Amino acid sequence: MSIKVRLHPILQNLAGGQELVEVIGHTTGECLEDLEIRFPVIKQLIRDKRGQLRRYCEILVNSKSTYPKELTTPVKDGDQIDIMIFVAGG
Amino acid sequence: MLTKNDLARYERQILYPDLGEKGQKRLKQSQVVVAGLGGLGCSASLYLTCAGVGHVTLIDCDRVELSNLNRQVLHYEEDIGEKKPFSAAQKLAKLNSSIEVIPVFKKITAQNASKIIKGANLVIDGMDNFKTRFIVNKACVAEGIPFIHGGVHGLFGEVTTILPGRTPCLACIFPEVPQRKVSLPVFGVTPALIAILQVTEAIKLLAGFGSLLTEKMLYFNGDTMDFTFRNLVKNQNCRVCGTKKV
Repeated sequence: MSIKVRLHPILQNLAGGQELVEVIGHTTGECLEDLEIRFPVIKQLIRDKRGQLRRYCEILVNSKSTYPKELTTPVKDGDQIDIMIFVAGG
Repeated sequence: MLTKNDLARYERQILYPDLGEKGQKRLKQSQVVVAGLGGLGCSASLYLTCAGVGHVTLIDCDRVELSNLNRQVLHYEEDIGEKKPFSAAQKLAKLNSSIEVIPVFKKITAQNASKIIKGANLVIDGMDNFKTRFIVNKACVAEGIPFIHGGVHGLFGEVTTILPGRTPCLACIFPEVPQRKVSLPVFGVTPALIAILQVTEAIKLLAGFGSLLTEKMLYFNGDTMDFTFRNLVKNQNCRVCGTKKV
């Protein structure tokens, strides 16, 4: 099973410059956990203290919104998960 | 109607075949709202003014501080303490006295946003927080006014153009408004570059040529000097612009 997470450019520096990371999981949440085990610093940026996804992050599967099931959307072989981060500075 | 002065001032861009005198006239007749006079808004309004956009409204509720001067290029040391829209308008009036610059010192709220942008041909996002961006996004969708979003963080920036009803709005991508408001790192060059991309979009949209950054987000990573894109898809359940609002 091949599922890829495409990292937002802000996160790529935290993953050794990688844009695409292959992960294992049956849901978006499981895939993110797999990613976070390998890159714990990403977890600090995208989750709050309770483990909830921060509101400035959104999860897309094949470019489509998963809201409000960002962490429970089923994924299958060949899917691509995007982590979007809203950039607020002006 | 373009005057003799207009023809001379804008000669080099009128030479661009897709713009020509017809496009320049459209710019002259256009009204653009620049929401926020920080790093993005200063650079954006500077280039809107240079390009000959006829009516530019500048709105912000802050006063100039010393810590603004690394990036907010229309505010000078002598302006510290001054209302940002007036500080910016003074410089723009000296740059191009043939256009109308309207400074508005006001906080954008859910109650006044539609009134502020009404009649504009487009709105440029120069804001520095999530909440106001979502208020303006919603007002632009309600009024059917294109919204050119820009955002920066450090050496990173993003741009997308939203055509209400036709292309994804900010709430399609981020359904819930993030609450965080903290001081973010930012270099002066990042908002300058992103603002210039926003104005490039504005010129094309107003004059009616070229293709736009719709249904995709352009990312600039100044650390690696990469430009990348993400496709954006309209969310039919979007609380702001969806046809099946939840």
